Amino acid sequence: MTLTFLIHQSKAFWRSKNTGKSIAMRIVMGILILYLLLNVLVVAFFIDRILEKTYPNQEIIPSFNSLLMYYFLIDLLMRFQMQELPTLAVRPYLHLRINKNQLINYLSLTSLGTAFNLSPLLLTLPFLIKVILPEHGPATFSAYILAITGMTLTNHFFSLWLKRKVNLNAMWMLLFFGTLILLVSLDFYFNLFSISALSAQIFKSLINTPIYCLIFLLLAGIIYLINYRYLKNNLYLEELHSADNSHKSSTEIPFLGKFGMAGDLAANELKLILRNKRPRSVTMMSLFFMFYGLIFYNRPDFSVYPIIFCGMFMTGIFIINYGQFMFSWQSAHFDGILVSKIKAKDFFRAKFLLFTMFSTISFLLTIPYVYFGWRVLAIHFIMLIWNLGVNTLLVLFFANRNFRRIDLSKGSAFNWEGVGASQWILSLPLLLGPFIIFLPFNLLDYPEAGIVTIGLIGLLFIVTRAYWVNKLIEQFQEKRYTIAEGFRNE
Amino acid sequence: MNNMIEILNLKKGYNGVTVVNIPQLSIKRGESIGLVGNNGAGKTTLFRMMLDLIRPDAGEVLSKEKNVANTEEWKDYTTSYLDEGFLIDYLTPEEYFHFIGGLHNKNKAQIDSELVQFTEFFNGEILKKGKYIRDLSKGNQTKVGIAASLIQNPEVLMLDEPFANIDPSTQIRLKNIVKELSREQQITTIVSSHDLNHVTEVCDRILLMEKGKIIKDIATNSNTLQELEQYFSVLS
Repeated sequence: MTLTFLIHQSKAFWRSKNTGKSIAMRIVMGILILYLLLNVLVVAFFIDRILEKTYPNQEIIPSFNSLLMYYFLIDLLMRFQMQELPTLAVRPYLHLRINKNQLINYLSLTSLGTAFNLSPLLLTLPFLIKVILPEHGPATFSAYILAITGMTLTNHFFSLWLKRKVNLNAMWMLLFFGTLILLVSLDFYFNLFSISALSAQIFKSLINTPIYCLIFLLLAGIIYLINYRYLKNNLYLEELHSADNSHKSSTEIPFLGKFGMAGDLAANELKLILRNKRPRSVTMMSLFFMFYGLIFYNRPDFSVYPIIFCGMFMTGIFIINYGQFMFSWQSAHFDGILVSKIKAKDFFRAKFLLFTMFSTISFLLTIPYVYFGWRVLAIHFIMLIWNLGVNTLLVLFFANRNFRRIDLSKGSAFNWEGVGASQWILSLPLLLGPFIIFLPFNLLDYPEAGIVTIGLIGLLFIVTRAYWVNKLIEQFQEKRYTIAEGFRNE
Repeated sequence: MNNMIEILNLKKGYNGVTVVNIPQLSIKRGESIGLVGNNGAGKTTLFRMMLDLIRPDAGEVLSKEKNVANTEEWKDYTTSYLDEGFLIDYLTPEEYFHFIGGLHNKNKAQIDSELVQFTEFFNGEILKKGKYIRDLSKGNQTKVGIAASLIQNPEVLMLDEPFANIDPSTQIRLKNIVKELSREQQITTIVSSHDLNHVTEVCDRILLMEKGKIIKDIATNSNTLQELEQYFSVLS
């Protein structure tokens, strides 16, 4: 039966309307994952050297042991953020003469195929072979492998179980993060107990008594059973469907009321962002980009380039992240927009309103970077103007050429739906634009003039925006049939 | 200006197959049109071209003598519900009605008072339930779409298979609403349906489509239902 399911799923993949695109995407993604795994492998190979350098006073094996538990904690966090629940559409099978156990086995089995389950072993295996095997012999070596596999599976099924719980009741997420924060703060702030000491202790006893590795496997088995029983009791449509049935309130955004029709449209789009999973997570991720500057500005002598780069990204992250899928967000009701009494002009004005709002908020959030000098703040502001002037138009120009439907209810991590050629081409002018302007000035040793020019060009496009918007509307009227048709294809 | 909608030489094909081919069709103000035909006859494609959602291969759709592809004035007096793609599904029904009303410069209080007349039609399942439109059943989504088209006070109303997903009581209520619209308020209505009983009861003119062509154009009388039933049974 599991085989039949697999065949069905492969058919669903090959016969989907977007097969051509999604294969290309999967190849790109595959290469990306392969590259990441390769990186992991390289790190893994030199892990003994790294440990030697970081903890010069300690022996290697104890320090390795003490880090293992931390690793699995971080692994759990990452899984919780990024791992997708297995997506067999079980719906068409539920009413048929198929054992629930078979469905659940399939769900559990296919869920195992993620890079998350590969990386712990990849990361530790070279070290185990290089260090543990010669020092403690094959028994301990295999005990380690079994223990790490056990931990991986425990994490795997625990995160699946937790995610399903969270889908039904968000309290579980609070509980989970609360426990994590408690553990970490007990460790680092109060020094009441130490995860690393615990970790070192556990694996030390593993070296002494290799048979203890069975405990890890037992743990994995228990979690698997919990997950299994949970699924079995909850394999009903309403519960698999993650819709929570709490009361939905109608929120109003009075501030936007001042802008007339465009304000109403922007308010709707704000609701779109807040009430749908994918745009919400895109926007949340934009918040993380606010720390982008810390990576570059922490160095003692940073040049102007990283400030331009970070400034553009931090103040324009919403325009870039959300804007690259412009109109696709509204693909599900695009027909409705076209037949309603909505003027194209208001439709576009609403986008600018949204961009301006989010970019201004981003800029305000980057103000603390003034700590690295007023110059940083000034360049950030100039990049805000650039973003509002140039990048908004750029993003909307490509939006007129984007015909891909997006399902709002899916997560955004590693979600390539809606990504097409236009996103790749868009990234070129987006990334290179300001540098092309800045470079010649910098070469001539007038960096200030270069930055001012970027600002002036941004300002020029803000002032002449009406003209460009009319051009965009003309194109929109021309392309709207193609856009609408693309959005109708699920 | 007697003709509300005029279709001239309208053609649309996909991959060499003609989906819609209508040399001429005029629809007068206040007429109520029933559009019937088997699956694939081209009803939805025709609707979409009348609403300027699809670019015709040839020909034009005139609304009040203006081509719908070149102007947007028709949006002031034409409302429609073809499918869920017309609804903004992450809004609550109230928010959606307020938004739609706002497009026609009606404030919330006005909309709320206009929604009172739909109390029976909604049957207590739409308003104040605290649900997003996406969480409503398909039938209830249809109700939202129809009510949203009606609160815009249209002169032309287009509904694609409105009876398909709704319960018998609501079907009867909807029939009464459509009848009243065309007979008393002179609103031009175009309704498609697979249920011959419904359309012959509601509409005073039936257009029968087959393979993109209008092959019958009949004024409804007591024999119409029989005539249509005969046509469809011969086909099978």
